[in-house]
Amino acid sequence: MNVKGLRVLEGGRAGALSGPPSSAGLLAELYERHAAAVYGRCRYLLKDDAEARDALQDVFVKLLQALPEFRQADSPTAYLLRVATHHCLNLIRARKSQWRDQLRVLGATRRQETEPPERRELVRVLLAAAPEESQEVAILYFVDELTQEEIAQELQRSLPTVRKRLRQFLAAARAALLEAMPDVILPEGSEL
Amino acid sequence: MNLELGGPGPGCSAMRVRRLLAGELAGAEAERTRAHVEGCARCGQVQREIALEQEALRREVSFPAFAAGVAEKLAARPRRSVLSRWAPLLAAAGLALVASALVLRPSDTETVRSKGAGTAQLFVQDQAGTRALSAGGPVAAGARLRIALHPAGRTQAAAVLIELGETSVLYSGAAVNGPLPQAFEWTGQGAASLLVVLSDQPIDAAKIHSAGDAPPGADVWQVQLHR
Repeated sequence: MNVKGLRVLEGGRAGALSGPPSSAGLLAELYERHAAAVYGRCRYLLKDDAEARDALQDVFVKLLQALPEFRQADSPTAYLLRVATHHCLNLIRARKSQWRDQLRVLGATRRQETEPPERRELVRVLLAAAPEESQEVAILYFVDELTQEEIAQELQRSLPTVRKRLRQFLAAARAALLEAMPDVILPEGSEL
Repeated sequence: MNLELGGPGPGCSAMRVRRLLAGELAGAEAERTRAHVEGCARCGQVQREIALEQEALRREVSFPAFAAGVAEKLAARPRRSVLSRWAPLLAAAGLALVASALVLRPSDTETVRSKGAGTAQLFVQDQAGTRALSAGGPVAAGARLRIALHPAGRTQAAAVLIELGETSVLYSGAAVNGPLPQAFEWTGQGAASLLVVLSDQPIDAAKIHSAGDAPPGADVWQVQLHR
């Protein structure tokens, strides 16, 4: 489209960076496009705004150090959320012992036993009770809502492996809930 | 009590909604997802959560503070190659983001924003590099301009370039979060006005020639260009 006073230039691939922006311009563009989602993921997993702000910076440092890989990603959003999830899970593992207290608090905040706990918050608290290898799969399935086939493709694992990880997560979650919320019954892995 | 922990539903996927809003879906997949999201309460909730994430970022993480933190962490890294590669960022990041703040700040003369949460930003790329266009700053001939949207939950967007006697539609469609897919060059002289409208209802971009033509309740962002 070229009209008086205006010339439309060739655009980049949707979701990709294009052109040779300066370093500052690149960081500004990355911030505008992706920082909110990354910060949201960090806040969700870490439950601490100051830690989340720090983690946000760490994730973008990792991004700047892996730009070629980032540019080749099919989905920049999915790529960055995975980096953020990895980073935050590592931080959560360092404070693993806290999950029991958090689960008790979550159970106590229910006004009555017939009220279900907040779903995503329950998933978050239960992550630390689950084996490390199942944590990322649980995030991809319960939070990002990828299908098991999509998770297998994303992680380059077999579908049976993904199913096994989900079963591991649910088994650990059920065991953790026995004490804090014995009335809550989670689905079997075969029901997912 | 049986409790569902969530997971993907028939046609529902939080990641797919994110990718749609980020402009990462194209063609039939984008259309299919857009059609699904419009009629799905669950995916609508995901859209609202994404809008809240944007608000939280704007409220709690300013770009200058973010850029300074990233630059500091990069500088602290022991790998020399990384430091030397991104060293210009230390100086340039602050500069670009001051410009950004100037554009986003409501002004009676150069940049005007309505009271809603949705807004936009104009980046200019010229021989000096890429930066957010400061309010009142001249646009060099040949500069490449790109609009970035911050829709704050608004679903529809339109961008028009208003010149004396003529209005050109730059964009009309979904309110993507981030830069619009096409850059443009302003080839005119004198002054022009760039107007961005963000709304929850469809926008007839061809009928917008001033902020007053925006649909009721829409967010309007406007910046003056001159050379």
